[in-house]
Amino acid sequence: MNNQLTVRQVVYTYLFISISPVLRQIPSALAMDAGKSGYLSPVWSVLLLIPLVYAILLLIRSFPGLNLYEVMVQLGGRVLAKLVIFLYMLWTLLLLSAKLNIYALTLQFTLMPKTGNGLFMQVMLILVFYALYKGGKAVFRFSELSLGPVFLVIAIFCVCALAKVRTDYLLPVTVLNLADTITASRHVLAAGGNIITALFFADRLEIYLSGRQVKKLWTGAASFIILSLIVTILTFGITGASLAAKLPFPFYITVKSISFFNIFERFEVIVTLICMLSDYAAICVMFLVLSRLIRWLFALSQERFLFVPLAVVVYYLSFFTSSTQFEHDFLYRNVIVNLNMVFQYFLPMFFGFICLFKRKNIRKPY
Amino acid sequence: MMIVFAVLLIASFIRNKETLFSKKRNMAVFVMLSAIGIALGIVDMIRPYIPSIAYAIEKYFK
Repeated sequence: MNNQLTVRQVVYTYLFISISPVLRQIPSALAMDAGKSGYLSPVWSVLLLIPLVYAILLLIRSFPGLNLYEVMVQLGGRVLAKLVIFLYMLWTLLLLSAKLNIYALTLQFTLMPKTGNGLFMQVMLILVFYALYKGGKAVFRFSELSLGPVFLVIAIFCVCALAKVRTDYLLPVTVLNLADTITASRHVLAAGGNIITALFFADRLEIYLSGRQVKKLWTGAASFIILSLIVTILTFGITGASLAAKLPFPFYITVKSISFFNIFERFEVIVTLICMLSDYAAICVMFLVLSRLIRWLFALSQERFLFVPLAVVVYYLSFFTSSTQFEHDFLYRNVIVNLNMVFQYFLPMFFGFICLFKRKNIRKPY
Repeated sequence: MMIVFAVLLIASFIRNKETLFSKKRNMAVFVMLSAIGIALGIVDMIRPYIPSIAYAIEKYFK
């Protein structure tokens, strides 16, 4: 079976798994940290996202056919690589259990408030198993096929929402607010850093990346920034920053107030569906990444037999991670965002920096 | 749910027994992860309202 992935599939998966934090957490977090001017934060996040994409391309091009672990072994030795992989494993475990939790909390907030978390998580795990046993490529193909329709639906929301945007909710922005927008941009970066998925699956990409494929990666990063900017502007412009800061899912409330030329309504259910699909893809990808990390850490021959034990661990860990929306929001804003900055930006850019100096001296195994 | 997971673990063990027995490490990691999962499940069964990690961190920050 052909397990090779294309850059297009990786980029589409990156965008697809980033949709749910963009719709759910980012507007609320930006409103809380930066107030009315928070919609400028996606613009500032370009300053860190560009070096990250450059570092990823540098690592992939310098070590074609190698995955993140093999690249780290080449650059820093086996001991350092194992230590970093162990830390990545713990981080992915926390992220995965938090993601499972927020998916269940979203469904409770939007559709079924009286249904327990456990049932939602069990259904999700069944669907994740089905995808994982079909093979990892099925997840990337699903994201590749689903992204287009999802973007089309979001574009329709934007068109319908434009008439309801209030400029007094967005303006004026003063120079005094700019410092807050810069620090708040870490919430955008926490989701934008998902592009390092390319490094975890770099060994399944083609050996040589053409200019067109490199351009796709840059286009993906730009698309993420534009999506964050548009969603935040619409949320602030319709709902207002002060209300958005208090809500766990402000875009859902924003969409409640728009209609398709007064013909179709109740678009908020579609928003919940989009978030569910995005969470589903994200959980599948995180399972794949986690199983790969464990395989690299313990030098296992295969990772398929890890899915069931990992599912048991992640299921119960999600109950211990956070039990209410408030606890999850606290954990996300104070712990996960900061950890994401370390594991999605600092470490890959650190290894990219080492790669820059060691490029000529590296012995390649092929 | 513990019973379902236990059955799934046994089914996974039987389905992947060739891979698990081919290398000691495979079996060791499988058993370790299963033990951790079951232990978490038992803790959840005995004390379902144990303070969460988020609660503990929040308390530490304050």
